[in-house]
Amino acid sequence: MTKLLRLAGLAVVLVVSLLFAVFVGDQGPWYFAWVIGTVMIILISGAGAIMLDAQSGVSADGEI
Amino acid sequence: MEFINPDVVDLSRFQFALTALYHFMFVPLTLGLTFMLAAMETVYVVTGRQIYRDMAQFWGKLFGINFAIGVATGITMEFEFGTNWSMYSHFFGDMFGTPLAIEGLMAFFMESTFVGLMFFGWDRLSKQAHLAITYLVALGSNLSALWILIANAGMNMPEGAHFDPETMRMQFESFVDLVFNPDAQAKFVHTSVAGYVSAAMFVMGISAFYLLRGQHRQFAARSFRMAALFGIISTVAVITLGDVLGRLDYEKQPTKIAAIEGLWHTSNPPFEPWIVAALPDDARQENHYEIGVPLVLTPLITHTFNQPITGMHELEDEAGPRIRSGIDAVAALRRYGVTHSSMDLAQFTAHEQDMGYGLLATRHAPGQDVTAIPADQIDDVVRATQPDILPNVFVTFWSFRLMVFLSLWFFALFAISAYLSLKRRLERSRLLLKLCMWSIPLPILATEFGWITAEAGRQPWTVFGWLPTFLSASSHGVSYMVFSLIGFVLLYSVFIAAELYLMFKFARLGPEHDSMEPHAPAAPGASAFDMRPMAS
Ligand code: HEM
Repeated sequence: MTKLLRLAGLAVVLVVSLLFAVFVGDQGPWYFAWVIGTVMIILISGAGAIMLDAQSGVSADGEI
Repeated sequence: MEFINPDVVDLSRFQFALTALYHFMFVPLTLGLTFMLAAMETVYVVTGRQIYRDMAQFWGKLFGINFAIGVATGITMEFEFGTNWSMYSHFFGDMFGTPLAIEGLMAFFMESTFVGLMFFGWDRLSKQAHLAITYLVALGSNLSALWILIANAGMNMPEGAHFDPETMRMQFESFVDLVFNPDAQAKFVHTSVAGYVSAAMFVMGISAFYLLRGQHRQFAARSFRMAALFGIISTVAVITLGDVLGRLDYEKQPTKIAAIEGLWHTSNPPFEPWIVAALPDDARQENHYEIGVPLVLTPLITHTFNQPITGMHELEDEAGPRIRSGIDAVAALRRYGVTHSSMDLAQFTAHEQDMGYGLLATRHAPGQDVTAIPADQIDDVVRATQPDILPNVFVTFWSFRLMVFLSLWFFALFAISAYLSLKRRLERSRLLLKLCMWSIPLPILATEFGWITAEAGRQPWTVFGWLPTFLSASSHGVSYMVFSLIGFVLLYSVFIAAELYLMFKFARLGPEHDSMEPHAPAAPGASAFDMRPMAS
């Protein structure tokens, strides 16, 4: 049941996102670009940090 | 009766510019840091590593200081519209008031509520719920800015409004047009992302400070890398989005773009140079000591190789007939106010689009009344008004250039920093770390230059093409204006001093919790101004 509800929730998010993309992509292309761009910036900077964690030899006294 | 006192207008302008520029020293950090906090916390939730929580909490504390002081500096401006710009508020209040009211609600209800939850909810909310709150704080602060920029875009490129001769002011027509005004969109993204650049430089600079001192190294390395990557993408975005704004100015605010480019005569495509440096002389209407790069201006502004950009002299010529027609509009409107006859209304409607230009002539009309200009003096009044359509070219030209030159510096600094961080060669590059530290205030400076470009370039209008600035002010006495100006300078200087004191203090103390360096040495007496121990 919980799984089903979660799935339904995600489906709603998907539909809302699509509607948002269609409407704002048409009426407000730069607002849309801002949403996508901000998400991208966050993901890339986060990935950079995770990469640092994964980079071999990073210990408390390794070179930074 | 002479109702325009130029001293009061200038003092009102100066006061607004000062309060706005003071306020905007705080805003960019709020806009950008919230999303940086969200990025750090996202990594915490995804990886479960404590250090990212430490990061979100520490940078969150610095964000909190900035937020608390920044909010206070913004409130005065909302009142200034009523106190110092009452004619403007009457004329444009419908259009301006709506987004401003939404901003107030958003800032107070959404942003402030969630900021509280973000600070006090760490131990009371689940990880995911807290992350959602942090995102809502980021969204809330940027959406607050959105409404201000929608209001500002309405002043630069009025959309979704029409002038109503019955009420003598701009009436609201379409909320959708107001919100989706292309200028509002471009301004919002440019300004928001300028905030990202500022926040990235702030985090990168302070992290560089720790690396130089060998403190909180793991904490600083992660903060530095996230900031460098955040910063490089944001800088590329701010440059691209700046190009969009320039193009919009070309389409809708020809006097602003001509002043930005110091273009006194219509360009000669495709050869027209982009002037890198010059001394624009407003009085003689020419540039001295021009240094330019040929072939760049036309594609840069028009995105073509053959479209000309109208120069300021030609814009003055084009304004002549509009001023004349505007004088007719104002005269018809005045008559209509008395007669309410359809003939006067029809005459006004025929010239309505030029009304602002007629109002601009007020200053040169006998007794500041354009309806009282004798027929044989109209040409003189029109000629005297023509140069008034231009903004201050020196200020607009140089504020724009300083913003652009700084953005090139940010690009280089973030690119090299990101590269060296990815290669893990940061600690060897002490000069770079010092440059990062000293560059902390520069994006905020670029932001201020951006606002000067936008607002000085909008002159002589408060509502572009409709309402001249000199007709927008309230009728205060000069002494009242001087007194309130001094009050604001003192008050805001205290705010800035408090911000700097607290920022230096907490940045110097470093993170309270540093899970990877639990016994990190405190920095006794260390000061960001004190460079001695850092010298390699
Ligand atoms: C090559 C880089 C850039 C270009 C071409 C550019 C272009 C512009 C233009 C044309 C305006 C005037 C907009 C108007 O007519 O109202 C503007 C305003 C502004 N710029 Fe930039 N800009 C650049 C870089 C930056 C940077 C690095 C920052 C700050 C970090 C910044 C912050 C601002 C701000 C805050 C404004 C005022 C708000 C607005 O009108 O959007 N800009 N910029």
